[in-house]
Amino acid sequence: MAMTRDALVQALAAIVGVRQVLQRPSELLVYASDGLPGYRKQPSLAVFPRSRDEVVAVVRLLARERMAFVPRGAGTGLSGGALADGVVLLGLNRLTRVLSIDAENRLAVVEPGVVNVHLTRAVAPLGLHYAPDPSSQAACTIGGNVAENAGGPHCLKYGVTLNHVVALTVILPDGEIVTLGSSDGEVDGYDLLGAFVGSEGCFGVALDATVRLTRNPQAVRTLLADFTSLDAAACATSAIIAAGIVPAALEMMDQPTIRAVEASIYAAGYPVDAAAVLLIEIDGLQAGIDEDVVRLQAICLEGGAREVRVARDEQERTRLWQGRKKAFGAMGRVSSHLVVQDAVIPRTRLPDVLRSIAAIGEREGLTVCNVFHAGDGNLHPNIPYNANDPDESARVHRAMQAIMQTCVDAGGSVTGEHGIGLDKLDYMSLIFSPESLDAMCRLRAVFDPDQRANPGKVVPIHACREWSQTAVLR
Amino acid sequence: MKEVSPSGAIHGLGGAPAPVGAVSSAPLASAPLSSAPLSASPAPTAVPAGPFDKAATPVWLAHNTGAVADAIREAGSARVALRVRAGGGWLDAGRPVTNATHVLDVGALRGIVEYTPGDLTLTARAGTTLAEIDDATRPHGQWLPLDPHGAPADTLGATLATASCGPLGASLGLPRDLALGVEFVDGRGTVVRGGGRVVKNVAGFDLVRLTVGAWGTLGVITEATVRLRARPDHCATLAVEAPGDQHALARLLRALREGPLTPIATELLDATLSAALGATAGDADAVVIRLVGNATSVAAQRRHVMSLARTVELPDTVWDALRRVLPAGAASVRVSHRPERLAVLWHDLATRTRDIPGCLRHATVERGVARCAVPAGHAEALTEVLPALVSSWRVVGEVLAPSAWSVLQPAGSDRLSRGVRAAFDELHLLNPGLMDATT
Repeated sequence: MAMTRDALVQALAAIVGVRQVLQRPSELLVYASDGLPGYRKQPSLAVFPRSRDEVVAVVRLLARERMAFVPRGAGTGLSGGALADGVVLLGLNRLTRVLSIDAENRLAVVEPGVVNVHLTRAVAPLGLHYAPDPSSQAACTIGGNVAENAGGPHCLKYGVTLNHVVALTVILPDGEIVTLGSSDGEVDGYDLLGAFVGSEGCFGVALDATVRLTRNPQAVRTLLADFTSLDAAACATSAIIAAGIVPAALEMMDQPTIRAVEASIYAAGYPVDAAAVLLIEIDGLQAGIDEDVVRLQAICLEGGAREVRVARDEQERTRLWQGRKKAFGAMGRVSSHLVVQDAVIPRTRLPDVLRSIAAIGEREGLTVCNVFHAGDGNLHPNIPYNANDPDESARVHRAMQAIMQTCVDAGGSVTGEHGIGLDKLDYMSLIFSPESLDAMCRLRAVFDPDQRANPGKVVPIHACREWSQTAVLR
Repeated sequence: MKEVSPSGAIHGLGGAPAPVGAVSSAPLASAPLSSAPLSASPAPTAVPAGPFDKAATPVWLAHNTGAVADAIREAGSARVALRVRAGGGWLDAGRPVTNATHVLDVGALRGIVEYTPGDLTLTARAGTTLAEIDDATRPHGQWLPLDPHGAPADTLGATLATASCGPLGASLGLPRDLALGVEFVDGRGTVVRGGGRVVKNVAGFDLVRLTVGAWGTLGVITEATVRLRARPDHCATLAVEAPGDQHALARLLRALREGPLTPIATELLDATLSAALGATAGDADAVVIRLVGNATSVAAQRRHVMSLARTVELPDTVWDALRRVLPAGAASVRVSHRPERLAVLWHDLATRTRDIPGCLRHATVERGVARCAVPAGHAEALTEVLPALVSSWRVVGEVLAPSAWSVLQPAGSDRLSRGVRAAFDELHLLNPGLMDATT
């Protein structure tokens, strides 16, 4: 006999306290969407444990009652992944302690609700930082980053979240606590840590994460190159990589994005008449860095850049980056709603795919703003629109599908760092065969045979042919 | 250099199944169950399987993915367990693959499928050797920085399946970091693809990480896409004499880890290896460090290293020599802990293995992982020191005498690992005994 909602609320309140359980529609409204405003799903209730023990007790209660739940960090995700549709929302954002810092081995152990940039601040006095830097880093949590295998501009040189997590303590959906990976040397066996990172909350809940810290570089140089054509900027990107320079970051913004940023409070001094700008950062040792700057300038100028500016000081550098990192926010001034995609294409296909995207936008009468990780080929075409206009919504939907198909046809993937969540479920079959999707279902069933953790996300349910038969756990 | 466009893929998912003749042996369906005597199995070829295996095993050659799938499906029907190999350099390693009556040889799955230098990615079939990949990428100033210990004839598939890496792994990426996509055939004979051909990808659950390091027990890797790196403009390799005193060594290693240096490899070598590679003249350990950057940067780093200790400049070829220095059939383990503890670990390992004739030791400083190898004839001596090592450090066996494996915590014995094995190879057809606590 399933527990009634009232009984569940009482049982949860007994664990976390009555104020940490939200159940009124007005309270739950905040949790009905994530960073992608196009989706709204109301959780049945939301529970916010404040300690590891409380998380464990809540997950075990939900396991006993066989209730589905959706783990959520700060809710900044861009795939609808942290939405709970009539099930329990488990907020981890109140577990905010940095548990330990081991400067010598460059490791930190954090609770899942630690905000990404707070960790970097905590270790800054030691000359260290946490390298993955999603644009939402001022708000997003490490737990959410682990679930999504989050990226960010500096992942071009330093790698994504997966490359920075060495161990996790995880509570599985059935309540068992396991350790994945190790911070004390090599582990033999299947890379279950690697499987967990990026599993979008479907494999369990991280209770703590041991992450790698990165030494701050001795020197950093930030360049802004402006181009009169999108094509030239895309070709310059390939030329930089081909020259063997590995920038810390290599970002592109097109004219609609530049104009949205420059019209906002995040104005960074980008040239509004440029067709595109490249924001290029290199870092490393002081010795030799200015020679690389000269090389980069030469490559950009040869590739048709009108001007290549080098930030003179930290203040200018911060300003250049703020425009990039707050570009999504700046688009909020343009329209009430925004869709963004996250496809990754082989870098050499950038010029032709960007041309196709422009043509698709033109065909549908829409403005596409491109602001993305050019060095990785990780596109972020944004379309500001009004979701209350059915005709415009339909055109946006068509454009998004056409853009995604173009990227897949170019040999790409449907998501580089935002995750599948709800938003990209329908695209999974564009890149994976039924057999491969079924294999993913089998893997999920090992961690969560009942499919209670973040149900309905990542892999379309119809792809799971043998759901009940595959869970062989003893 | 071989370049194949995406449309020219040599084989792909959903392609026609290979003709039965592609499996170059008698039909598996008529082969004996795994408990039946080997002599009952007709086999065209027979090879000795490894230093610790006495029996010859029939070999089934598969020339494409479809043939691998056919072979595994037939093996499943007949309950015949398979030992998977490509070049034969890794899985013939003395690990206790048990009850495998047939070898499934995928060495013929060979060749680069796609390589667009501007993308810094490369897709190749599993039996492609690391040397072939090196030959293809070198003219473009690129490389696949996987430098596992062994021969250049080792294959991409085996390197990923065993997650093997060398000194470059700490800075340029471990196999799990460099593998972008895999095609594999699971224990049901189903062709599965995970990941993709782009450098950043979070679509779906991660079957790539799952397959890398699984020793072929979840599926037979048939093709992989890997991330390449640009070869550095300038390189310098320096050898620094390492103090015998543990505390002095710890100070040196710390200075190297924390100094104004961006090396792509920092390897601690024992005195025997140091002398063999010309790193030291006398009877001292050495740290060999590989500096990269532009000319100015390398010069500054060189000055810094020289300020720390007595230094010898070595040719870059010393790194290739290190990969090949181990004698054929050597027994080896890796011993690790946090990098900061490496000096203590190194001292402990040296003390315990000092008297084993021909013993060689080296360690990757940034990862805190030491490796110890002894000639085949002294494998038992290595077995004897294992219990003491296991009590203080993480120990991963590479090649060991059969009796040694029981000392180590069996990989894959936890509930999740057993579940993963069951989900992908329920019948334990693929390399039974590896990652397998039940045998």
